[in-house]
Amino acid sequence: MHVDPIGEISHDPLARIGLLMLAIITLMAIFAPLLSSYSPHDYTGEIFSPPGMDHLLGTDSMGQDIWVRLLYGARTSLVVAGAVALLSSSLSVLVGATAALAGGLYERFCMRIVDAMISLPTIIVMILVAAYLRPSLPLLILLISAFTWPGGARIVRSQVLSLKERMHINAARTFGAGWRHIVSTHIIPDLSPIISALMMQDARRAVFMEAGLAFLGVSDPMVISWGKMMHQALAFTYLDVWQWWLVPTGLALSATLIGISFLSCSLETAMNPRLKKDHARDNVRYG
Amino acid sequence: MLSIRDLKVSFGKTQILSGVDLDLECGECLALVGESGAGKTTLGLSIMGLAKGSSTGEISFQEKNLLALSEDELRQLRGREMAMVFQNVEDALDPVQRIQDQIAEAITVHRSISTKNAMDMALKHLLSVGLNEEKARLYPHQLSGGERQRVLISMALVNDPDLLILDEPTASLDALTKADIIRLFRSAILGRICIVITHDISLAAALADRMAVLYAGRIAEMGRAEDLIRDPRHPYTRGLIRSYPDMTTTKDLQGIPGRLAHGLSGCPFHERCTQRIDICSKIMPPQIEKDGRLIACHRGGIVPLLEIISLSHAFEANYVLRDVNLTLYEGETLALVGESGSGKSTLSKAIIGLHEPGRGQIILEGSRVIKRDAAFYSRVQMIFQNPKESVSHRMNVLDAVLEPLQVQRKGSHEARLRRAKEVLDLVELPIDDDFLKKYPHQLSGGEVQRVAIARALSLGPKLLIADEPTSALDPSVQAKILKLLMNLQEKMGLSILFVTHDIALARKVSDRMAVMHKGRIVEEGATNEILIHPQHPYTRRLVDCAFGRYGMENAEIEMMVEPGPVALEKYC
Repeated sequence: MHVDPIGEISHDPLARIGLLMLAIITLMAIFAPLLSSYSPHDYTGEIFSPPGMDHLLGTDSMGQDIWVRLLYGARTSLVVAGAVALLSSSLSVLVGATAALAGGLYERFCMRIVDAMISLPTIIVMILVAAYLRPSLPLLILLISAFTWPGGARIVRSQVLSLKERMHINAARTFGAGWRHIVSTHIIPDLSPIISALMMQDARRAVFMEAGLAFLGVSDPMVISWGKMMHQALAFTYLDVWQWWLVPTGLALSATLIGISFLSCSLETAMNPRLKKDHARDNVRYG
Repeated sequence: MLSIRDLKVSFGKTQILSGVDLDLECGECLALVGESGAGKTTLGLSIMGLAKGSSTGEISFQEKNLLALSEDELRQLRGREMAMVFQNVEDALDPVQRIQDQIAEAITVHRSISTKNAMDMALKHLLSVGLNEEKARLYPHQLSGGERQRVLISMALVNDPDLLILDEPTASLDALTKADIIRLFRSAILGRICIVITHDISLAAALADRMAVLYAGRIAEMGRAEDLIRDPRHPYTRGLIRSYPDMTTTKDLQGIPGRLAHGLSGCPFHERCTQRIDICSKIMPPQIEKDGRLIACHRGGIVPLLEIISLSHAFEANYVLRDVNLTLYEGETLALVGESGSGKSTLSKAIIGLHEPGRGQIILEGSRVIKRDAAFYSRVQMIFQNPKESVSHRMNVLDAVLEPLQVQRKGSHEARLRRAKEVLDLVELPIDDDFLKKYPHQLSGGEVQRVAIARALSLGPKLLIADEPTSALDPSVQAKILKLLMNLQEKMGLSILFVTHDIALARKVSDRMAVMHKGRIVEEGATNEILIHPQHPYTRRLVDCAFGRYGMENAEIEMMVEPGPVALEKYC
């Protein structure tokens, strides 16, 4: 069955809400300089000033504008999300698909590496690595990607293994098609639902991990991150300041995560007819 | 004895006989078969010296060259030494004479004998062909067709000729009369040289020892009648037999494409032949005799397209194919039958290369298949069971049909488009843009299977492997798809390896049948013979079940506490 994912999800309320949330966060990140009159690193004078006309969400313990930092923090989150999604899912597809297609020793080797990576305790390894290397945004992206791709590789491999046995791929082989043709005209298009779901999942995990690591203190001091903001805010919970420091940051982080989740959920439903109630009959081919 | 050397007869500019060689011993009966216009009757008339056209060559009979004799000398021979029973029983008798008088006249022409004696002899002959005295006094129009035929036979035999030529002797008779006449002929041809000209293959089989297939004035194939019918080796002979309904025929009748034409260069049959090569249209093929069979074909008769020699295949330690030997000829359908799990699909996938075969050889058109390259796949194609799975749901009709051409990088885009439309037309699908843009889920199962067939045909294959091609379709669609495959076979000379578990289906589409059981071919042969006389116990069970006989003797799984090794080996 031929599906048009964009057309399908445009009618789904879940997807609309998710998209709306993500759109707001994205717009905030893109237009950060226009939406604020301060630089996020500037000391604006007073510390712990409550929200007002000068400072939309007040200022923090360093006298920096919380609203401005929230906007620039969105940039960090989205950059990490996008970069990890691309890097990690490409790695997943590369390793998973080649393992499934090539088979043999290569496949076993790849899959054992995947197993090993999955069994590593992510947070501890990251903290250790960050302790030895100077934490920076690119390093963080690499690190998160390094820990998210193995799960995806497993999924892609199993999917390609089942795709490989599909009749239309066998048929293409009987025309004398090489693997290049089969991969580009049959496997990649059939993998697209999986790949997009994978990217969504990677993005969500990346946002969460970046915030988490920053919260734990593993981050570049110059990078503005929601995790770090929450960490700093927590130190001052005895003051009223948490109401406009901790809560908006937490809400922004949640909105991003929920937005991505909603969108990925809706996309998966649209592209995987098995999850659709009204097309119970045509499911087989999506397996 | 009669011997004909390089006999050529032409009417005006048309050459009807172009070099016929025949040798007939006394007591031998030869059937001449072929389509109308092949020159059968002309050959008979030429021997009798009655052919109108100009003849060259030599017909020697009783040490005389008949072509060199004068009309008088010929007349002396006709009726006495050689006689012909003509095709048209209506015209061959004089309507104003009683039949006894006509026969007596035939006697007096050649012998000096009194009229009384001649009349007596005539009556005796009429009695010997089963007519009585009353009938002998009647006029031809008062007799039935069968009786008139008897009169003609007795007239031909009355002077005890050495050579008897029967031209379509039973064409207008009903089955019972025909049987009587055939019995009569059987005794009449004893001790004589006999030539039966007919297009009725069952008559030829009943009367003749040898059979010669005439095509456009040349002998295409000659050999023992039985062998020729059971195992035709010339494509034309096979075409004739396929188009002739017989009580044991199981496959649907198929014709021969095109029409007979005289005066073509090269092999006269090349335009209608599906296995022609370049040389066929240039040089007349020589008649080569091998194993008592004379064949005029550059390719030595019907070529084996695919040969499988002791092929084995195992999934890990599990042998799925054991020592399989199989030959598939050009233009025939071989049904591969057997229960599920017998290795049918594995065999077909091993041939096409979806499974790497273990041991053994696969030979395609005489050369061993080692690497499956573009050239291999443009000769061998496959149709799969479920069309909706074998055609990608992401491809519309046009994309699907274009795919093989794109994979093999054949021609320009326009040429591919043309070819795609051509094959879609061949499988009787519309070729308008609206249809070309449709996706498989917008089409019916039968339509998608047609698309899959068109796709397989786009590379112009010679061998089509059809793995249960209709089992996902409902019966009426199945019938149409099978008809389509048969028509394509007739048109293109496609060989089809038809994999199915449905014997009733295989019966209708296949020329030959191979029965698979536990990875082995346990029986192989002509479909009708296998169905009538299955040899192997497993085949017998399959056929019994297909006929709906579900007796206990057909049960493989018996209710036993312990299935011993004997029970398991029962049908191996």
